[in-house]
Amino acid sequence: MSTQSTNNNTNNPTSDVVTSSVPFTLKRWNLVGIWSWDVAHDVCAICRTALSESCLRCQAASNLQECIIVWGTCNHSFHNCCMSQWVKQRAQCPLCQTDWVINRIGQ
Amino acid sequence: MSSLKPKEIDFNEQWSIVLGTVRSVISMGRFGQTDRAIWQERFFDIYYLCVATPDSHAERLYEETKKFLEDHCKSMKKDIAESDQNMLSIYVKYWTEYKTGSDWLNTLYAYLNTHYVKKRQANDMDTNYQPFECNNDTIDPPLVEIGEMALDCWTKIIIEPLKDRLVKLLLEQIHLDRICECVNQTTIKGVIMSFVDVCQHRKLNILELYEKSFESPLLQATGEYYREEGNRCLAKLDCIQYMRKILLLIDDEEFRSRKFLNPTSYSKVYNECLQRLVCDHFDTFKSECNELIIKEDLDALRNMYKLLKPTHIGINYMVEKLQDNIARIGHEKVQSLKGENLSTLFVETLLELHTKYMNVIKETYANDPEFVSSLDKACATIVNMKYGNRLSAKAPELLAHYCDSLLRKSSKAATDSEIEEKLLSSITIFKYLDDKDYFQRFYQKMLARRLINQQSISIDAEEFMVTKLKQICGYEFTGKLARMFQDIKVSDDLNIKFLEYVRSELSSSSSSQNQTMTNLLGLDFNIYVLQQNSWPVAQTITNTFILPHLLEKPLHMFEAFYGKKYSGRKLCWMYNLSNAEIRMTHLDRSYFVTMGTYQMAVLLQFNDHQQLTLTEIEEAIKINIKELEKQVLSLIDAKFLIGNTSELTMNSVISINFDYKSKRTKFKIPLISQKEANHDSESSQKAIEEDRKFYLQAVIVRIMKARKVLKHNSLIEEVITQSKQRFLPSIHIIKKCIEILIDKQYLERRTNDEYSYIA
Repeated sequence: MSTQSTNNNTNNPTSDVVTSSVPFTLKRWNLVGIWSWDVAHDVCAICRTALSESCLRCQAASNLQECIIVWGTCNHSFHNCCMSQWVKQRAQCPLCQTDWVINRIGQ
Repeated sequence: MSSLKPKEIDFNEQWSIVLGTVRSVISMGRFGQTDRAIWQERFFDIYYLCVATPDSHAERLYEETKKFLEDHCKSMKKDIAESDQNMLSIYVKYWTEYKTGSDWLNTLYAYLNTHYVKKRQANDMDTNYQPFECNNDTIDPPLVEIGEMALDCWTKIIIEPLKDRLVKLLLEQIHLDRICECVNQTTIKGVIMSFVDVCQHRKLNILELYEKSFESPLLQATGEYYREEGNRCLAKLDCIQYMRKILLLIDDEEFRSRKFLNPTSYSKVYNECLQRLVCDHFDTFKSECNELIIKEDLDALRNMYKLLKPTHIGINYMVEKLQDNIARIGHEKVQSLKGENLSTLFVETLLELHTKYMNVIKETYANDPEFVSSLDKACATIVNMKYGNRLSAKAPELLAHYCDSLLRKSSKAATDSEIEEKLLSSITIFKYLDDKDYFQRFYQKMLARRLINQQSISIDAEEFMVTKLKQICGYEFTGKLARMFQDIKVSDDLNIKFLEYVRSELSSSSSSQNQTMTNLLGLDFNIYVLQQNSWPVAQTITNTFILPHLLEKPLHMFEAFYGKKYSGRKLCWMYNLSNAEIRMTHLDRSYFVTMGTYQMAVLLQFNDHQQLTLTEIEEAIKINIKELEKQVLSLIDAKFLIGNTSELTMNSVISINFDYKSKRTKFKIPLISQKEANHDSESSQKAIEEDRKFYLQAVIVRIMKARKVLKHNSLIEEVITQSKQRFLPSIHIIKKCIEILIDKQYLERRTNDEYSYIA
């Protein structure tokens, strides 16, 4: 941190003059954010587990791979592994019964 | 030498010649050595007798030899029986001579042995295979080789009639040896071993004579002797002295066994001693045991262990008492702990206790696994003890704090190896935790704080600890911790890419290649993007916070950049976790202060105003008023700001402290108060309960997927086995989870108390 601030000063000698006009100058900001799937429902309607977690079957299998999310054109979302099981039986969205067409898959 | 051709031989004439040599061979000591030539001649004489024409003299030779040996033994028996005083030494003298003689005789009769005795034996075997024609009464005693015949004669004619007298004398001698009188060891051992050696040819029950005639009276006499001796010692000695004494007695007796007895008797004599000296007085041991353990009289305990370990009563009582004692001392120590550094005191106290008793067990109880496991059990009770009416033991939290204090930068300067050593010893305690998931939760929280605030002492040390935890609890347990490291790494990359993005967005000229974030955006902007479910952070639902104006542009740029890079994700900013560095330029010199984002936002308001009321600040940055009060108070505490009232109200006027002075120019101010930390641990307790339910559901699904159909009890049992390394689930909570899974249609209840898995 200290090296950074000295670097700043040498790189940009004018900054001192500009900032010293006010008492408090912001030098650095460490921002923390969390990302989650952009989904309308928090819970996968197929396995009834939070979409932020892996589906229960992946957890039971201690699956190291990430359990990703899939969105249909109807904008409903599910665990991809749950949905791929589901469409084998019915090619419709479990929530709105429209034909299931994949819109996008989370990465 | 004459030809080997069979010839006609007069038996009586030839036998009288052979007999002379036989006599001198069997009692060599008295008749001097037989010289080689004569030996050779007799050897062939026996051959000629056996192959004589027209009929072999083998049978007669065999019978005559037997008769001679019997007569010889009878005469020796007479000598022995009449020698009252030195019966044992005369016996040994004759026996030694006779034993060697019989070996030689066997060699001399080699031809008879192989061609007469063995053939007949083989024939007898054949006839014996026809069970119905076999009639024991008419069968002559089986033929045996000459050496064996000689030993049988000795048994029958000398030992059998004399053994009672011999054994009585032997026992007297052994008794004399016990009371330290001088005895002739060679003689005694010789007599005793003759009972074994005389049966050496037998195929079965070689030791029968020895055991029945000598060993069992010996054991009886030994028992009686030590019963009396034990009582006598105990009458005049206390338990500690008694143990010391009898260890010597037992040692002596062990030595005595080796002096006199056949090796098969050693352990029997030893056991007899233990029985009489230890087991018979077990109550004395028992009543002393606890006190010795409390007094930690290790010498006495070592003796007691040595004495009790080999007995059938065993050491269970000692083990139990030791465990109770360690647990008691541990509880007392833990409950008396006070002070600020509770986590360190707690862990170090436990480790000290553990090390101490590991050493005691090593030095005193020969590292006996039963004692080691009693230490483990005692430590587990201490660690998992629930004090007061708390739901959970305090240990998981304290231990996590301890690790945090080791892994945080502020910790006292220590080398990497010192830190690793301490972490490793904390693992010792960790293994005793029942609620390992509680530990994990606290550990995760503290790790998050270390990573986000860049306070970790080294990534190597962090990974070392996670690896150790993984070794004990498996991948699942540390999965989230590992993903946290991963997120930090990914974020570092992300920041590099973002800088490139900002360069390309903000300037088209090639000179921008070396521009830093500060040059481009006016501040050093660093972002961590974390995966929601790997981090122990609660999302704030409504966030009304108004960002300071100068941060809007950088933030929007990042959001645009992130949206292009990833699809299907939404970002939520955790301002309460973010921190900022402010430079204060209005004072005697420049100060660099690290603080929370909200604190920073409050201070920046004072760039435009000399003074502000709390209400005005609230309008400007729009955070929850309780939260705001805390932020402002912390800044007043830090003496950056001054309030005009002692109690903060909405109308309090706050202004900059222009007289601020500090020795350090670079530091950070705290935000989280102690109260909050307490609240923290309560809320995480709830979160842990939720985690447990979720974890158990996953375990149940895993089990049922493999087994398809399972009885209720078997399922419960299996769940407990599988989750034991993480925590001990109650039956109640397992049942609840089964219900949840039935609701979710993972399982189906069937008749007769069974569940089946629905694929």
